[in-house]
Amino acid sequence: MDVERRSFLAAVAAATGLVLSYGLFAAYAVSFLFPPPVRRRPRRLFLGRQADFRPGEARSLVDDRGRTLLVIADGGTLTAFDTRCPHLGCQVHWEPKEARFVCPCHLGMFDRNGVAFAGPPAAAHQALTRVPLDVDAVSGTVFLRSDA
Amino acid sequence: MSLDAKRIVIAVLSFFFLASLLLVAWRETLKQRAEEEPKPIVTATNAACVTCHRQRSAGLVMEWEASRHAQVGVGCVECHQAREDVPGAWRHEGVVVTTLVTPTNCGRCHEKEVAEFSRSHHARAGEIIYSLDNVIALKIAGTPGNPADAVNGCWQCHGSLVRFQRDADGQIVRSGPEGRPLLAPETWPNSGMGRLNPDGSKGSCHACHSRHEFKAKLSRSPENCGKCHMGPDHPQIEIYNESKHGIAFYANRDRMALNKEGDWVLGRDYAAAPTCATCHIAGYVAVTGELKGNSHDVGERISWTLRPIVSTKINLVRFSDGTQDDFPDTRPLPAVGATVDTTDYVVENEKLVARTVPRTVASVVPWQTRREAMQGVCRTCHDQAFVDNFYAQYDSLVTLYNEKFAIPAKQMMDELAAEGVLDPKSPFGEPLQWTFYELWHHQGRRARHGASMMGPDYTHWHGMYEVAKTFYTEFLPEVVETAARRGRGPEWQAKVAALLARPEHLWKAGLSPEEAGALGQSYRQRYGAKNEPAAAR
Amino acid sequence: MRERLRRFFAASFPVDWDQLRALGAEPVPHHLKHWWWCLGGTPLYLFVVQVATGILLTLYYVPDPSGAYESVAHITRDVRFGWYIRSLHKWSATLMIAAVFLHMLRVFFTGAYRWPRQLNWCVGTALLATTLGFGFTGYSLVYEQLSFWGATVAANLVEAVPLVGHPAALLMRGGAEVSGNTLTRFFVFHIGLFPTVMLFLLFLHILLIRLHGVTEFEFPGERVAPEERTFPFWPHHATTELAIGVLLMYVLTILALTLPAGLGPKANPQVTPMHIHPEWYFYFSFRLLKLTSLRTSVYLTLALGLGLLGWPFLEDALHRWLRMPRDASVVVGVLGFGAFLVLTVWESLAG
Repeated sequence: MDVERRSFLAAVAAATGLVLSYGLFAAYAVSFLFPPPVRRRPRRLFLGRQADFRPGEARSLVDDRGRTLLVIADGGTLTAFDTRCPHLGCQVHWEPKEARFVCPCHLGMFDRNGVAFAGPPAAAHQALTRVPLDVDAVSGTVFLRSDA
Repeated sequence: MSLDAKRIVIAVLSFFFLASLLLVAWRETLKQRAEEEPKPIVTATNAACVTCHRQRSAGLVMEWEASRHAQVGVGCVECHQAREDVPGAWRHEGVVVTTLVTPTNCGRCHEKEVAEFSRSHHARAGEIIYSLDNVIALKIAGTPGNPADAVNGCWQCHGSLVRFQRDADGQIVRSGPEGRPLLAPETWPNSGMGRLNPDGSKGSCHACHSRHEFKAKLSRSPENCGKCHMGPDHPQIEIYNESKHGIAFYANRDRMALNKEGDWVLGRDYAAAPTCATCHIAGYVAVTGELKGNSHDVGERISWTLRPIVSTKINLVRFSDGTQDDFPDTRPLPAVGATVDTTDYVVENEKLVARTVPRTVASVVPWQTRREAMQGVCRTCHDQAFVDNFYAQYDSLVTLYNEKFAIPAKQMMDELAAEGVLDPKSPFGEPLQWTFYELWHHQGRRARHGASMMGPDYTHWHGMYEVAKTFYTEFLPEVVETAARRGRGPEWQAKVAALLARPEHLWKAGLSPEEAGALGQSYRQRYGAKNEPAAAR
Repeated sequence: MRERLRRFFAASFPVDWDQLRALGAEPVPHHLKHWWWCLGGTPLYLFVVQVATGILLTLYYVPDPSGAYESVAHITRDVRFGWYIRSLHKWSATLMIAAVFLHMLRVFFTGAYRWPRQLNWCVGTALLATTLGFGFTGYSLVYEQLSFWGATVAANLVEAVPLVGHPAALLMRGGAEVSGNTLTRFFVFHIGLFPTVMLFLLFLHILLIRLHGVTEFEFPGERVAPEERTFPFWPHHATTELAIGVLLMYVLTILALTLPAGLGPKANPQVTPMHIHPEWYFYFSFRLLKLTSLRTSVYLTLALGLGLLGWPFLEDALHRWLRMPRDASVVVGVLGFGAFLVLTVWESLAG
């Protein structure tokens, strides 16, 4: 093999080695930058007894995933809403007299079922997320089900 | 080194670096696969309690954190919160709490279990206060000023009547800046099964479901029941340990799914062995494939009562208000809809009083149905012929005890009392009364329990052997001697002789020549002439 | 199109590439082919590694006692490749300090601190102090038991220095005791103050080297042909440095895999653990403290530090006024480093 070719191959080998190894390292560093996924198991959160909810009561709580939720006792059933507005993420307010949710940021409004009827969320046909509840038939205890 | 050589060196080193990076990636994937540990949820309501008590009662908080309650955010306030009017409630750091957590508190969520438990005999264990056993502890072993035997002994299993410390005016004594009510030391701490609580409820869930972890594995294990169901008068745990059920359990403990979350069903979750909970409480898969649920009413599957002097079958009479009573088979069964006078033991002014309450009969469960419910469990592992024959064996032992010893002995004691030889107001005044007490309360119970749960040694050596020995060598001679001290010696001598003339007692006359010969020969052959019984020669 | 791009680039970035190439190909003396002359570039490379991994770590680190330990645990346990980046950072620190020690030994035993390079020796000593400062503050940030008590002891040692000790300790701790303030200060020192000082000192150090030029050495028995007396920095010496860089990455990764950075128990201001020790590079001082009184240790360490800093001037003075032969420096060096080694090894075996 002539000198020039050997030099060229050596240079290519070195360059390839460096690019691959440092490149992989850089990939790890980039991966490091993205916050790790939170590994959660499906969990249940005890909310109380169905009988303890007064009719029309709206109870606010923060679940173990950090979501702010509102549990509303409406006509004998309990519904849990995630009060994060689907438009751009502000927290909505519940107005019991008008039986609606109002978002202060861009005046999106949602009815008692969480379905948007005014403002940008309505234009995008959005609704508040409902979080499933487990109600034990015998004891009337209510659990929030937060799946992974 | 030439430039090219250096470049090759770089290429080679890069390769090694790359290889090591691949190992790093492998290590990273292993780490990612690790399971997330379940973490307790401390809700806003309980945050303050947990923070303070983590320092002041670290063990307690750690136990709670390990519990299933903590996994769903059920914490301090959910159980300890009380209404202001509940005796023993006080305002602690802004929340009205009670130290004592009773079935009423647990029943807010565990309604079914508390309802079943409250109608069972477990909830009534505290009513022992009116029994002979209590007399022994309080009066014979104790003094009027010091009920320590009952406090530390009987009541720790049966449950105390919880009282508060009171001042001269009868007001509850309170202490500290928050006015915490003080519980009377003779009555608390107490986790007895039938504890009589100030809020009117009966029982203590944590007698079996030890706080604050409330671990299922603990409650389902036989040792749990063994705290109380043991000893000379009802050695259930010792019998279980002797039995093949117990042997199977201890050899297969790790296959029992003891800590399974939710229901624990024989024939579905485990099959290696039954524990106390299996037969008396837990669910099982019936032969039809149907799942039978559990019940905290521990008497539902019981057909004999082995407690009294003479055992009887027990029928269950259920009333319309959810309460129930055992009716021995000697008592006529009421019709559905009939009104029956029942005795309720209730706490009034921190004293247990008996009140007669008329109740309407809602249903009648005969002892056969109760036995059938128990047999349902047996059938998960054994076939019907096996089960039938076992019950035949068991019944025959109870009958033997009843007829040969218990009934005649009781009859004699009743007659002696009627004749004034024994004073019914002095139940332990005479040695004869102690002998009789132990005959049925200790030895006779051991025999019956031993047969009920397949503990042969307890049935015979700790049971019928001692019953027989006591009956013949102590009870009968003492009957005559006690009667003699009241001038009725010859009369009772004759009565005893008449009893002993009956066929079942004729062994006293001696062995037949054939029997003696056979006995002597067997000993001579096995153990040699030195061990030959003298009588046989 | 290509022509327009070329003209745009040439106008907005008017670099004379030929001049740059000539600069890069600067002749480097032959003796730099010996590997122990790369001990200067090694800590520089490792410093770059530290800055890169350090910036990554800062994205997750919480500089408050309530969250510091937990954030380090989070990085080690949860963050993707967190354990790897952290282990690289930890091992790179150790290797960097070791490389600085070895580099100073090389400079010392080749007399490269002598006139006109005395000032550069002082800059180098300042770089050593800054590197040790990095090591100390960095380790304290983990907020383990050893971190907390190490910081406490170090601050109290500073306190014992005559005249300036008390105010210096106050400045260091941000108070009379190690507290949240201390952690904040150490954090700012570690990611702000020391890097700035380091960069400035590095600039000075390299500037002085470039200005003075590198003296040509010749080793006994070595015959160097005239055309081989120098070789171009680029690409030859640069390639060597590159190879060392890759080798260091490989060694660091192996160390991270086999001896990853762990986590001891969290700092507890109420309890000092039975087995306590600083990082290995302070073992000599730790052992000294166990052998002598506090005063003696502090004065001795101060004297040694000042002696190290002013060694070129000290050697000069000794030569001029005590007639110490210049070669006696070798003995001084051997004894000095020997003592350091003995104390360090002693502490590592006994502690």
